Amino acid sequence: MEIYLPIAEQSMNVFVLLGLGAAAGLLAGMFGVGGGFLATPLLIFVGIPPAVAVASQANQVIANSVSSLQIHWRRGNVDLRMGLVLLMGGMVGSSAGVSLFTYLKRIGQIDFVIAVLYVVMLSTIGLLMLTESLSTYLKRRRNPESPRGKLHTHYLVHRLPLKLRFYKSKLYISALLPVGLGFLIGILSAILGVGGGFVLVPAMIYLLGMPTAVVIGTSNFQILFVAANVTFLQATTNGTVDVVLALLLILGGVVGAPIGSRLAAKLPGVVLRGLMSVLILAVAAELLFELLRTPPSPFSLGAREVSP
Amino acid sequence: MRRLLMALVKSIVWANGAYAQSPRVEPPSTGLPPSVPTESTTPDLVVDLSRARVSITSAFQGESILMFGMFDPPGEVVVVVVGPEARETVMRKQRFLGLWLNTGRQSFDDVPAYYAIAASQPLQRLLARGAGGEILSLEDRMSTVKPVGPRDAAELAQFRGGLVEVKRREGLYPAAIGQVTVQAGRLFRVDLPFPSRLPEGVYEVKAYLLRDGKIVAAVSRPLPVGKVGFSAQLAGWASRDGPLYGLGAIAMALFAGWLGGAVMRRL
Repeated sequence: MEIYLPIAEQSMNVFVLLGLGAAAGLLAGMFGVGGGFLATPLLIFVGIPPAVAVASQANQVIANSVSSLQIHWRRGNVDLRMGLVLLMGGMVGSSAGVSLFTYLKRIGQIDFVIAVLYVVMLSTIGLLMLTESLSTYLKRRRNPESPRGKLHTHYLVHRLPLKLRFYKSKLYISALLPVGLGFLIGILSAILGVGGGFVLVPAMIYLLGMPTAVVIGTSNFQILFVAANVTFLQATTNGTVDVVLALLLILGGVVGAPIGSRLAAKLPGVVLRGLMSVLILAVAAELLFELLRTPPSPFSLGAREVSP
Repeated sequence: MRRLLMALVKSIVWANGAYAQSPRVEPPSTGLPPSVPTESTTPDLVVDLSRARVSITSAFQGESILMFGMFDPPGEVVVVVVGPEARETVMRKQRFLGLWLNTGRQSFDDVPAYYAIAASQPLQRLLARGAGGEILSLEDRMSTVKPVGPRDAAELAQFRGGLVEVKRREGLYPAAIGQVTVQAGRLFRVDLPFPSRLPEGVYEVKAYLLRDGKIVAAVSRPLPVGKVGFSAQLAGWASRDGPLYGLGAIAMALFAGWLGGAVMRRL
């Protein structure tokens, strides 16, 4: 069954889009991070223009983070103060990111930049996850009761100025670090259409040293507002947010997420992370292949401009 | 006799039209100008279209429109369809450090969004005999698009070639929309294919009757192409009021996410 996407201006199979949403939801359910970093490249593979894929994906991220935030808010797992500090950087970063996106689109390089950033990001994360899960697996086979490492180390974070006390996270660190982190995630969010949870969550644990319990809820808090900002700015400046596309992805996600969390409960975490890393690396390899291979035609068209 | 023939044409067309129509009910008309039948300047050529407009609905997957009519023999029929003109920018990829990226770009003005031409005889033969001034083959039409900014001729030819290539690939410059077929010496028909990724605007469908290489009759019909119904409203809203549309998109996602979360907890 085909449906016409009014902003992408093309028809697309409904089940392909629902399936993509479900796959992203599955990942979200399994790992607690949004599946945007896989959904956006997949949307581009099936032929959605990258600019529309990114902007509509940002719209989908809102839905994803609000349903996750609901749960964590109720459990009291949101460090509001940390969330707001992150958000300060996030708002500036995402606004700058959308401007950068608009500029790159105008000079015709946005598709290339999106592809390169995804290749770099996905291959880094994929390799890190793969080595981590492999070494954990091997270690566990050798000695099942491996000692736990230190929760976090003290270095740069504790020497920067503008220190703030974050009660819920039991931290006394410089506000500059979360602001900077939020800024970077904001840029990433605007250009790649991702929430950024898969970068933000590890950074909050290892870089800021936040307790794991409040990390997911707090990151979802910041992602919700950043994604809303990106959606608003993309709709205003580029007109590339396709709500029909976003809604189909959201619907797919609603189906996929509970399946993902059930799977996560059944399979051991190491196996899950291993599978996920292989999947991420496969997408990165395909994107890299597209950049390296000689295209069927070197020509493409930019946006049509009705005569001035 | 002519009346009888017309009736015959109408019935054939009606049957074809009914066959071509999908079971979906035609949505109500929007602000687009209606395709009004144009009176032929001479009675030598009468044409009609199986559809008065191309309606891009939520179920749109491209469409084929039948143009049909009757002419006074002898003669040959040429049909030309031209989409609205606009500036198009062609980008060219080159290998840079092993990666393929856009390195060159060239804009052209007055590029038709859609261009199709068909005839009841091989075109080259018809156009060579003098009608070429008025009726342009795709190649002739494309040689008239104006490049924006200076560039040397060889490069321009490359970009122009690239423009045609991309448009062909998108189905917007159909290479050969099946020849115009003639039945009973005076009834003709031709299928006009429109792809799913179709720019909006008022297209022009022109039919010419040629005798000895000269145009003896010409009929032109506007063919509005536009989004209708839900997709028209959404796209219109997005382009008219981006900020409000953005807020709407956010509200939709918030509600859907909240609902999804609530449903998930129940499961």
